[in-house]
Amino acid sequence: MPFLPRVRSLWRNLAHAGQVERELDDELRAYVDLLAAEKEKAGMTPDDARRAARLEAGGVDQLKESVRDAHAGAAVESTLQDLRYGVRLLTRAPGFAALVVLTIALGIGANSAIFSVINAVVRKPLGYPQSDRLMFITSQFPTLGFDKFWVSPPEFFEYRERTRAFADVAAYTTGAVNLSEGTQPERVNAVFATANMFGVLGVPPRLGRAFTAEQDLPNAEPVVVLSHELWQRTFGGDPSAVGRQVEIGGRKTTVVGVAPPAFDLHDARAQVWMPLGLDPANRQNRGSHFLYLVGRLAPGATPERANGELLTMLRQWGQLNPNTHVPNDSTHRIQMAPLRDEVIGNVRVALWVLQGAVALVLLIACANVANLLLARAEARHKEFAVRTALGAGRGRILRQFVAEGIVVAALGAALGLALAYWGLKALLAANPESIPRAAEIGLDPAVLAFTVGVAVLTSVIFGLAPLLHVQQDVVASAIKEGDARSTTTAARNRVRHGLVIAEIALAVMLVTGAGLLLRSFNNLTSVDAGFDPENLATFGVVLPQATYPDGQQRVRFMTDLMRRLEEIPGVENAAAVQGLPPVRQVNANDTEFEGVPQEPGSPPQNVDFYQTVTPDYFTTLGIKIVEGRGFTPADAGGPPVFIVNEALAKRFYPGKSAIGRRMKPFGIDTVPWATIVGVARDVKQAGLEAEVGTELYFNYEQAPAYVGFAPGQMNVVLKSTRPLAALAPAIRQAVAAGDPGLPVVELRTMEAVFGDSVTRQRFLSQLLGIFAAVALVLAAVGTYGILSYMVTQRRREIGIRMALGAGYGQVIRLVLGHGLVMAAVGVGLGIVGALALSRVTRSLLYGVSPLDPLTFAVAASVITVVALAASLVPTRRATRVDPLVAIRAD
Amino acid sequence: MPPSYANLLQGTLDLLILQALSLGELHGLGVSRRIEQITRGTFQVKPGSLFPALHRLEEAGWLASSWGASENNRRAKYYRLTAAGRRQLETEAGEWRRVSLAISLALQAT
Repeated sequence: MPFLPRVRSLWRNLAHAGQVERELDDELRAYVDLLAAEKEKAGMTPDDARRAARLEAGGVDQLKESVRDAHAGAAVESTLQDLRYGVRLLTRAPGFAALVVLTIALGIGANSAIFSVINAVVRKPLGYPQSDRLMFITSQFPTLGFDKFWVSPPEFFEYRERTRAFADVAAYTTGAVNLSEGTQPERVNAVFATANMFGVLGVPPRLGRAFTAEQDLPNAEPVVVLSHELWQRTFGGDPSAVGRQVEIGGRKTTVVGVAPPAFDLHDARAQVWMPLGLDPANRQNRGSHFLYLVGRLAPGATPERANGELLTMLRQWGQLNPNTHVPNDSTHRIQMAPLRDEVIGNVRVALWVLQGAVALVLLIACANVANLLLARAEARHKEFAVRTALGAGRGRILRQFVAEGIVVAALGAALGLALAYWGLKALLAANPESIPRAAEIGLDPAVLAFTVGVAVLTSVIFGLAPLLHVQQDVVASAIKEGDARSTTTAARNRVRHGLVIAEIALAVMLVTGAGLLLRSFNNLTSVDAGFDPENLATFGVVLPQATYPDGQQRVRFMTDLMRRLEEIPGVENAAAVQGLPPVRQVNANDTEFEGVPQEPGSPPQNVDFYQTVTPDYFTTLGIKIVEGRGFTPADAGGPPVFIVNEALAKRFYPGKSAIGRRMKPFGIDTVPWATIVGVARDVKQAGLEAEVGTELYFNYEQAPAYVGFAPGQMNVVLKSTRPLAALAPAIRQAVAAGDPGLPVVELRTMEAVFGDSVTRQRFLSQLLGIFAAVALVLAAVGTYGILSYMVTQRRREIGIRMALGAGYGQVIRLVLGHGLVMAAVGVGLGIVGALALSRVTRSLLYGVSPLDPLTFAVAASVITVVALAASLVPTRRATRVDPLVAIRAD
Repeated sequence: MPPSYANLLQGTLDLLILQALSLGELHGLGVSRRIEQITRGTFQVKPGSLFPALHRLEEAGWLASSWGASENNRRAKYYRLTAAGRRQLETEAGEWRRVSLAISLALQAT
């Protein structure tokens, strides 16, 4: 058959169905008229002729139907008809329809939401050309327990010069700088990178260009590449911004380029890209690890080859440079991993757990809908019987079921997508920075395709479920008996009960999982961080190198600021600290301990966290000094002193007192010894869930004289019972009084700091909690549905029993017992399932065993109670059965 | 009564319709009468087969239709062969002749 005319008529038949139909009508009427005229001419009376013509033509409607079947697109037409019929049936039972659509929407919505996260975070490649060629290179100190540590500049230069497997290797570090364009200073995230970073990533700036190797040398004129977002905000997207100057850290800095939109590196949320300013000629400071490396594999090179080359280099590094601190293959490794794996990090497991959870929710939803449709198919028993008797083939009825399934699934999917979109938006807004690449999450063709796929699958599943019912003996049983309450229902009941038991089991698995995560989260939030975050407020302040070049100047500014802050009514204490607990990055510094011999062959002795604090720090945060004393104002002009944490004292002076011992920081000979005067309680530094590392406190007021340097980037902590909102204006005033050009950044309560540090765990437990709640509700609805159905079905039996003298107690036992048995079997299976899954969830838990008996017990009892509650209404209905009415009903 | 060819092969019916229309345009009843006439009454095409076939052939582009006045001044839908239809008629007729010759030969072979 020719193709083109066929397509033309398909279009005509579908698009102009009305006209096609009218013409067919006219044509057939004309035919009958002509036939009648012919017969009249042959001598019949007009009436007889007409009747005979009609008879000969056969029913005009059947005739039309047969022509329609010949038309192109006949299958489409009849499918549309099925769909229309499906919609009509659903509108006739709006309550049922709403229940089914909502159930599916919950199931599909949850799946689309999680899939859209997985799609953006795990599935999509990073936004760089050929991003699979990018490797992330870090160092590793196995004996110190540091995985993914920084690389020092000399190591970077040596690696970059000697590697053949990489086309190029770039280095970067992250930080924050004060930027002002106009009057208002603000704090922006910065990536300090080598000049070749843009080239390695393969993304040139959108406007202008990246900084050059010359601009990346120490003491070069400062230049910056702005992020697209910052350029839009501060320059209104004006292309002439390139070449203009902004003030960064107190220095006039020339804008040389603007990055493309959403350009970032490892979730640094970079707003400015600045030269790292390393001197390639300087190969000193080997212990100063602060760089991450990103390399692009050379054309033809494989990651395996790059890794092999690296291993060889590690073995030879010592010969290249017989220094104490060169990389080697035992204690100071260099390692690489695909940049993508690095960015996604450990969130992958969490996301797959969530995807598993929502798949369970969808299964429960499907089981529920299947049960609802089964019950309804039972009610429509006669309709199908009649249709079958009238000649509708099984195929036709099957198509009808699937069509209804499609209507329901389509509505559910649409609603589910909306739920997913808004729900996810709300959750991400409530938990910013909880997952990497969050900005890329959204509805895209992949998510839509996934949703459609899930919808089609579900529609087929529960569209076909009622067939279990129609399959056998439809006509026979329905027409003969006139009802469905015959013994043949036993098999169907088994299916139905099986579905509910499965629902309960799946709900147990979800609730147990959610319970375990919730307990982990609770454990995390109630972890003893070494101090109480209550009544503490904090903000960051940065003294730029340009305006505060001198350490003493910085100390003066901070001391004055603390005094002004303490003058604010309601503020008890104020202190400044370099690295804000409970989460900061390890800065691991080589440190010499007097009288503690260095073990031969192991790397230099090292302290995890160097910390610099103003003297009131311990008082302000309420950190107990367990031995010796804290810092005093008198220390300012005195000999250098340290306070160490308990972990350090225990590690380097086990079983002895640390007080009076001497240490030499930074592993630099020119720095004099300082004496430990106090031991402070351990304070969490590497996150609430992590072990406390060793920590060494410098006195900020001593720092300039002692090490010739005072950090300019400090966090201020205030103790006050007044609410933060009431304090904020006075705080800003106090800072502005010292320097109106300094922004007050991240002013928040310490509790908020704690909250932010567990945002991912909170996000996970919230999501899983929601899914578990949905599962519970669905399982409850399912239990309720099946028991109600059972009571209706066994009305007569109950009536007879009651007539024979059964009391309420027996009737209650009958129904409630039924519910309990289902709940018990479901809970049992669910626990087995949850145990089987414990291996997966283990890595996500904190302070709770994946086999935690309490959580299992609570989950099991919650489900049992819910199932019981769902059984109550049907039970009540059963006790109200009037024996007379029930028996007479048939 | 002539024998009823309920299971008249679709291809045969198409061929008959195309042949009937090869002499000029006709409406539905006209086609059925012409077929009766040219087959000397052997084939009586029922409307239930005729109209689906007409529509199918039109959709295939072998027939074209237009509305016109019938002999007794009624509005009726007239069908005529298109160029493609004429080619199709030749192909099918040739095919048919070959088949019928073959079958006749087969039957004569006793």
